[in-house]
Amino acid sequence: MSGRARVRARGICVRSQHALEVGRPQAFPTSTSADLSDSDTPSSRGSVGTSRASRKSKSDRPAAAAGCTLLGRDGRLRRDLVDASVCTREKLTHVRDCKTGSSGIPVKLVTNLFTIDLPQDWQLYQYNVTYTPNLESRKLRTALLYGHRELSNKAKVFDGAILFLSQKLEEEVTELSSETHRGEAVKMTLTLTGALPSSSPMCTQVFSIIFKKILKKLSMYQIGRNYFDPKEPVEIPQHKLSLWPGLAISVSHFESRLLFSADVRYKVLRNETVLEFMTSLHHSTGAAAFPQACEKALLGLVVLTRYNNKTYRIDDIDWSVKPTHTFQKRDGSEITYVDYYQQQYDIALSDLNQPVLVSLLKSTRNHNTEARMVHLIPELCFLTGLTRQAVSDFQLMKAVSEVTRLSPLSRQQRLARLADDIQRNRDARFELETWGLRFGHQMSLTGRVAPSEKVLLQDQVCQPGSAADWSKDIRTCKVLSAPSLTQWLLIYSGREETINESFLSCLRRAGSSMGFNVNQPKIIKVPANPAAFLRAIQQHVHPDVQLVMCILSSNQTSYYDVIKKYLTSECPVPSQCVLTRTLNKQGIMLSLATKIAMQVTCKLGGELWAVEIPLKSLMVVGIDVCKDAQNKGTAVVGFVASVNPRITRWYSRCILQRTTTDVADCLKVFMTGALNKWYKHNHEVPARIIVYRDGVGDGQLQTLIDYEVPQLLSSVTESSTNASSRLSVVVVRKKCIPRFFTERNHTLQNPPLGTVVDSEATRPAWYDFYLISQVAHQGTVNPTYYNVIYDDNGLKPDHMQRLTFKLCHLYYNWPGLISIPAPCQYAHKLTFLVAQSIHKEPSLELAHSLFYL
Amino acid sequence: MPNRKASRNAYYFFVQEKIPELRQRGLPVARVADAIPYCSTDWANPVSTPLRRPGMLVPKQNVSPPDMSSLSLKNDQALLGGVFYFLNIFSHGELPPHCEQRFLPCEIGCVKYSLQDGILADFHSFINPGEIPRGFRFHCQAASDSSHKIPISNFESGHDHATVLKNLYSFIHPNPGNWPPIYCKSDDRPRVNWCLKHMAKTSEIRHDLNLLTVEDLVVGIYQEKFLKEPSKTWVRSLLDVAMWDYSSNTRCKWHEENDILFCALAVCKKIAYCISNSLATHFGIQLTEAHVPLQDYEASNSMTPKMVVLDAGRYQKLRLESTGYPHFNSSNHYQRSNIPTDDYPSGVKISGQNSSVRGRGITRLLESISNSPGSIHKFSNCETSLSPYVSTKDGYKSFSSLS
Repeated sequence: MSGRARVRARGICVRSQHALEVGRPQAFPTSTSADLSDSDTPSSRGSVGTSRASRKSKSDRPAAAAGCTLLGRDGRLRRDLVDASVCTREKLTHVRDCKTGSSGIPVKLVTNLFTIDLPQDWQLYQYNVTYTPNLESRKLRTALLYGHRELSNKAKVFDGAILFLSQKLEEEVTELSSETHRGEAVKMTLTLTGALPSSSPMCTQVFSIIFKKILKKLSMYQIGRNYFDPKEPVEIPQHKLSLWPGLAISVSHFESRLLFSADVRYKVLRNETVLEFMTSLHHSTGAAAFPQACEKALLGLVVLTRYNNKTYRIDDIDWSVKPTHTFQKRDGSEITYVDYYQQQYDIALSDLNQPVLVSLLKSTRNHNTEARMVHLIPELCFLTGLTRQAVSDFQLMKAVSEVTRLSPLSRQQRLARLADDIQRNRDARFELETWGLRFGHQMSLTGRVAPSEKVLLQDQVCQPGSAADWSKDIRTCKVLSAPSLTQWLLIYSGREETINESFLSCLRRAGSSMGFNVNQPKIIKVPANPAAFLRAIQQHVHPDVQLVMCILSSNQTSYYDVIKKYLTSECPVPSQCVLTRTLNKQGIMLSLATKIAMQVTCKLGGELWAVEIPLKSLMVVGIDVCKDAQNKGTAVVGFVASVNPRITRWYSRCILQRTTTDVADCLKVFMTGALNKWYKHNHEVPARIIVYRDGVGDGQLQTLIDYEVPQLLSSVTESSTNASSRLSVVVVRKKCIPRFFTERNHTLQNPPLGTVVDSEATRPAWYDFYLISQVAHQGTVNPTYYNVIYDDNGLKPDHMQRLTFKLCHLYYNWPGLISIPAPCQYAHKLTFLVAQSIHKEPSLELAHSLFYL
Repeated sequence: MPNRKASRNAYYFFVQEKIPELRQRGLPVARVADAIPYCSTDWANPVSTPLRRPGMLVPKQNVSPPDMSSLSLKNDQALLGGVFYFLNIFSHGELPPHCEQRFLPCEIGCVKYSLQDGILADFHSFINPGEIPRGFRFHCQAASDSSHKIPISNFESGHDHATVLKNLYSFIHPNPGNWPPIYCKSDDRPRVNWCLKHMAKTSEIRHDLNLLTVEDLVVGIYQEKFLKEPSKTWVRSLLDVAMWDYSSNTRCKWHEENDILFCALAVCKKIAYCISNSLATHFGIQLTEAHVPLQDYEASNSMTPKMVVLDAGRYQKLRLESTGYPHFNSSNHYQRSNIPTDDYPSGVKISGQNSSVRGRGITRLLESISNSPGSIHKFSNCETSLSPYVSTKDGYKSFSSLS
């Protein structure tokens, strides 16, 4: 019996009584487990029905609250769809007709996108459905509507109030009558409210639902946002792990047509039930300390119950409840956990004395309702994910990454198999056909490879052998400028005087070959505790000290945090922390010293290298936003702007703001500060300003345009009375749907560095492009997505792309290309330091140097 | 706007608190105004511990000595002698709005402070958080782990709500009907307020505490003193500094031993340090160990950098209190210090009483040297704050100039 049938049988929906009242001292085992009784809906349902939607009926939704749109998982319109309706390109006159560039060597690329063919005049018909008498339960509403013979063989999607059909009903207003199992007559009125073309965002959502159903038919289970196939796990027996292969899919409108995209995902599971884990823990700790040790080890872990393939977080352990206790089912009857699992899933529980795990369910609709709790049986729960201990296990991570980091070729094979499965599976094909859709072929397109860049150093120009890493090429070259390090402190604990000596001599040697003069520091030995480091710094730092270097014997964050916190906000002096363990590694001392010498140079305000920037008087800005690690309500906004035309010197600001969104408030102050700085150095305002904005989440595009761009604009226009600078704002996204492969030597490979894609995989309403500026030594490369949302500069797309590529060369912490433009990476580094360690605004006195590298 | 009132209140309460003592002495004080002349002697007291400020720690002079002549002495004295209480209560996280119990109080810290004398006394106690609401154990544990790390169960040191509240009240020991204002940081105010109310409710004790924010207090003092109002952001950054995070005698014993920064007592003490550091100097007050943890810096000063043993000064020194309060009188200090303190509830520590002579001989020697002039000086008890042992150069410098 399907869940829907069960509801029909009951006739009336029993109001959920399963919300446990939180805050009561005792949660009675009888009043529990909304999800247990709800999970009696087996995953394989009848051939029709929006299983997701009906599952949501857990939270009773009054009919009036049923909005006018299909809603996403969080009860709102899906965020990426909000973005899709933002049109920025039409305001940018220079790219309205053509946003593609032409320079560079063309390269043929295969993508992970598939075409979906649908008839020219394809339309989606939207109906509003009302019930008399009014029914509250969405499950019941759905069951009655789907059960009606008028609709039984039509393709349909229903969310409780709105019905979508691919074929128009004969009448504008259709009245259907049905009867519940109890014999009550219900009249359903279907009113046509609109016909939507396939390009409408609503259709995109309906397509997603259709493909969700199709993947279900391919026996994939939805866990979170992705779909997994538990039938073919990849086992890593030596680490007791199994990995479920899975897919992340989406359907959306790209440049010229509707495309289906798929990417490979993995779910890491441990081949160990919570009960087994508990037993072994019991053996090792003994009975007395067991409950506490158990809570410490298990709380917060995510478990998967294989009987319904759902994941839960362990929030508590209820030691007072046993599987032989009873709980109340939705219909009010009492049943023991043992019997329930026997009846529902045909699972016999072996240990009748195990406690139950408690998980709080997130309320999907209303944040003010009480959290509902689920009781889970440890025996049936499998641990998922990797513990911190496992993550630091190199062998284990290597074994995992060998599976998960698919090469372009094996990724392509997986995609081909998916396409094949969809084509071959009868049910899947039928589902598509009833909607009038046809699953097409894999897309390929043409990208262009930008020429490689030369790296400019003090008195020579270097053409790197590989743009990915030119550290060897510049080993003998002098950096652009480096202040000499005359007064500095070296604070250490421990006994490694000899290591310090050899490190210092290496640092001096590395420095001298770079043109960076390093004097003897004042060396201070302190006891190994954070307080001692702090006190030594407080005592010995005076205004002439250029740098404090701390050699830390452990990588406990407390050392690092206290040093950085004090030296960036209260007593602004650049600081460099080095781990003793790193210094102890054999054979890498000189290269390590070179790396540290470079970092220190930057921290003192030096410049390492440059690339040729044809635009004179150009300021580039990077902005990143992230959440504070300690205080979740605080957002950290970092802003890094170049202050010279060569783009080698930077002005960095960071602020903490109390907001729940990741939208920056303070950009006007930052921009004005940066422009003043520029004016001080160059005696004019920059002619052009290009802002790269990172850290943008789904659905924030419109806010960015309405709120951040005006802040930047206002300070730019106020900066100068006559000719103000021209501004462009580019949104940078490291995660994007498409992947690109190129065919070479009869096999698929990652595309070469500098590959630009600005057609087909882009969006029609945006001025956007993809750029591959990083190498993936293992697995498939992730392209970076750029979306120009505001552009006064009117640079040709070619120039915009080239400039962005050039900026990816300028990150001084890595002698090579990086995945995003350097100012963004600097801003990221800055916000990360502040969010993780400092938690307050860094001193302005450091703004002129890259103190956060 | 509670802030302007607050500073006046502080003055009012200070003098008010004095009235019973004055009456005991047989003085005719009917109201606050009458008491003011008698209280002024307390403010004029010289500072007990002369300070040699560590020379190496003086990079620059960024606070100029205020022009004393232009200021109203009466107002100053009121501010200087005013006693404030800083309070903080930690919780095992914050539960979502739909829960009846929003916080699980687990630690309380409170200090009694005046600009003149610094920290006069402190109070600290762990609180038994009670039963964790079912299903929120992970939430609470994660919140605890990311901050104060107090175990959520099997932690023996926690007292029940009634005991903690009773002890807190007797620490504050208000006059009947007159509760002194209590201050906490504005970010913490909702939590502290909720916890106080909750504890009062569960233990059926009346809750009369008037909880104000430190930010408003600082703004108020500036307003009073300089007739200018600093920005709240500036005040906030003033109160949020890391330099005393690891100072000795700042955290409670448990947090110190486990080396955890987040401690309710430390938050209160650091507020006192920050206010001393930025404000007391404007009033020309010599900073003592009761104002800021100086001993950390002094002890190591005489050593060569190669051999710095920086935590030698971690033990609190034998210190002689000023004569501000009769029961802190130095005349009975030595005798008091060895008597168990029956008249103070558990958790309350009066700073003058700490006589634990621990540490190494050299530390003790240094201490005795540094203390001796102070005591001599104190007994003479006739100098202004500029004692001959304190060079005028060091007299008004802010401690923040160390940074």
